[in-house]
Amino acid sequence: MDINIKIKDNLQIQAFYIFFVVVSIQIGVGLIGFPRLVIMETLQDSWISILIAYAYIVCVLIAMILILKQYDSSDIFGIHVDIFGKWVGKLIGMVFIIHFAISMFSVLITYIEIVRVFIFPNVSIFILSFLILCLVIYSVLGGIRIIVGVCTVLGIYSNWIFLPLIQPTLQMDITHFQPLFETPLPNLLEGAKLSGYSFLGFEMVLVLYPFIKNKKKITFPLFLATSWTTIITLFVTMVVMGYLSYREISIEQWVLLILYKLQTFSFIERFDFIIVASWLIIIIPNMIILMWGITYGMKRMYKIPQRYTLYIASLISLAASPFFYEHFLIQKVINLSAQLGFWLVYVYPFILLPIVLIKKRLLENRK
Amino acid sequence: MRKNRFMKKDNIFPITVKDLEELLNSKFENNPDLSISKFENKGKKALIFYIDYQVQGNMMEEYLLTPLLEKDMKWNNSTILNEIPLSNGKTLQSLDEILTDLLIGGVFIYVEGEDSVIGYLLLKKEKRSLEQSETESVVLGPKIGFTESLVTNLNIVRWTIRSKDLVLESFLVGELEPREVRLIYLKSVANETDINTMKQRISELEIDVVDDSSVLMQYLEDSTSTIFPQFLTTELPDRFSYSINRGRIGVLVENSPTAFIAPTTFFSFFESTEDLYMRWNIGTILRALRFISFILSTIMTPLYVAAVTFHYEIIPIPLLINLGQSRAGVPFTPIVEVLILEFIMELLRESGARLPTKIGQTIGIVGGVVVGTAAVEAGITSNVLIIFVALSALASFSAPNYLMGTAARAIRFPMIILGGVLGMVGLAFGLCFLVIHLLKITSLGRPYLSPVYPLRFQDFNKALFRLPPQFENKRFKSYRPKELIRYSREKAKQKKDIDE
Repeated sequence: MDINIKIKDNLQIQAFYIFFVVVSIQIGVGLIGFPRLVIMETLQDSWISILIAYAYIVCVLIAMILILKQYDSSDIFGIHVDIFGKWVGKLIGMVFIIHFAISMFSVLITYIEIVRVFIFPNVSIFILSFLILCLVIYSVLGGIRIIVGVCTVLGIYSNWIFLPLIQPTLQMDITHFQPLFETPLPNLLEGAKLSGYSFLGFEMVLVLYPFIKNKKKITFPLFLATSWTTIITLFVTMVVMGYLSYREISIEQWVLLILYKLQTFSFIERFDFIIVASWLIIIIPNMIILMWGITYGMKRMYKIPQRYTLYIASLISLAASPFFYEHFLIQKVINLSAQLGFWLVYVYPFILLPIVLIKKRLLENRK
Repeated sequence: MRKNRFMKKDNIFPITVKDLEELLNSKFENNPDLSISKFENKGKKALIFYIDYQVQGNMMEEYLLTPLLEKDMKWNNSTILNEIPLSNGKTLQSLDEILTDLLIGGVFIYVEGEDSVIGYLLLKKEKRSLEQSETESVVLGPKIGFTESLVTNLNIVRWTIRSKDLVLESFLVGELEPREVRLIYLKSVANETDINTMKQRISELEIDVVDDSSVLMQYLEDSTSTIFPQFLTTELPDRFSYSINRGRIGVLVENSPTAFIAPTTFFSFFESTEDLYMRWNIGTILRALRFISFILSTIMTPLYVAAVTFHYEIIPIPLLINLGQSRAGVPFTPIVEVLILEFIMELLRESGARLPTKIGQTIGIVGGVVVGTAAVEAGITSNVLIIFVALSALASFSAPNYLMGTAARAIRFPMIILGGVLGMVGLAFGLCFLVIHLLKITSLGRPYLSPVYPLRFQDFNKALFRLPPQFENKRFKSYRPKELIRYSREKAKQKKDIDE
């Protein structure tokens, strides 16, 4: 297996598309339930924990870019093999693929659960996941450029979803944010950890890096993307907190959707139905990138054709999804995904970075 | 090629006049149209043969027969070629070629003893005169349409594009009935890769007969399975030259009034040259109207089905009461109701298009008014639905290109079924599928959804809306023209202070 890979010219993408890719993978199904979790933990100071999470993510991104810059054109799978050798490297690479797979699966079943609760209580999970996976397969078959295209177009399109929050924004109660700085630090850090799960997804840059044409310009779109996601998350959390009282927040699972019930037009009464359906447009790019990460990783490490992995992974997800109809099972998957993501994305790069730097230094000295 | 193989073998000349006459007669055994006349001058015999109705009789008389018979000369090939005042004379040796030319209007002279035949092409073409285009009509701007004759069309193209850079490359397509195909582009503007791709696709094509330019287009397109047209068809020379001037490639086919243009983007199907002729702000409004109506025509009735079947909560109460009243007597589920009405609508439209204009109008009125009212009164459909269906049918006509309008019609039916089965989620699924599908299409290898993906912000003001002239000094970057700048922007926007 080659450490550095050369990607064909017609498969490369411009660096600024990374913005759309990262935004569309970070804003996903988690955003619906996220405000409640973080508010339950840190109350009126939840904006602080989101900002702490953002600051930490900036550090992680710097670490990731530093790791990637040590190589000409390599991804996380190649770096692992270079650092840890063939066996251990591929094992850790496999952990990344499992992380992608669990994330993708949790997105799928969470969305289906929301549809079941809000729109169709008796809908067949199998049919819904079949349709969604059809879309995933159809676009992953188009290759990386189509995937980035889906992220771009649907990513631009899906931003209107935050516009119908204007009415609750105008009716916010400012006293809900007072008093400031009351929450103790451990709780703030716990809240930041919770936000971290919502912000997951930017680790995809570790896989996408060789595909970028102008690698030097990657930093700006990457930071812009995480900043944009932070702004949206912050906005949503503030609106939820400002409009609803603590008691209302604590009894609702998906608080964000409650806010959409408020918005009415003269021709549309219940906006939340449209929002739940439109959330499909948000999760599709999400799942597509994760699925691509799985197929590409398998091809990179074990030379399995991407097509096979795509079909097999889709089949497994399709077969497994009907078993996850109880909320606690879905919550278990989400927790597992959050745990794995936390260690892999927020802790692991700081372990990997010194090793990469030391190895490079040693090699230079040897010369 | 088959033709070349025969050419060597069947050189039958020299031959006696009598034998040639017999040979020709045997070739045209069941065709009484071949005229053969024999002449004799100074002991030399000559044979003139042609098909009567394929040649211009008076021209043949005046310029060919009169000089031949009245001038005092010794008949042989070189003197005849010199003396006859027609420019396109040529000598032919192969019988196969002679027969091909004979069919499209050749006149041949054979002087006994010579080793070849002299042929003149005096083809008579029956063609209609230039008329206004029927399929695409415009309010402002030139209204003339292409005709079936290639020569006329080339003539029109030369009028409209008076550039030295204009290239009109000729190809022969079709093994059994070769037909002339012209590739038209501006050498200094059009992208070379695209030209080469197009040339390669045309010359590599192996088919017996090209029926029409629309058929040729389907052979040349990138993807055959999609319902979206990848090349733009037009009958308007005006629209044709507009595209050529912006660095795209046009194709004209003999005997076909429709030209097609490549590469295209999805958004170019909503462009009309009228947008240019109007002021930029009005043009923007009109273009926005077309996009909105495309979206409406695809999702309006599916939305009705989804809302009425599953989510009547999203309809506000006052509206819901009206809707409920008008739907109270309808015995069908919404999806059946919509499918019936949409089917009737498509039926009316299709039969209206096939009938002559006058009857077509009558059918339209009868169908629209009588069937619509009767359907509501009979309790088959609701009033509200009639409005939706009529509106979405109307909206699908607003696309300036007929093929795109047809695509919008075709998308609607799967969307209705999705909306009827899974409600809003089904509709979201359909929309996602549509976007992914559009992303996958290419036209001459260029992405179809450009400038939205790949993102090219400087093309937005040409594809999606229009801006005042000083901002329109560049060509579409999506088509990768050789020369991007049309005119200098600085001169176009000289600023002046107040009272200067």
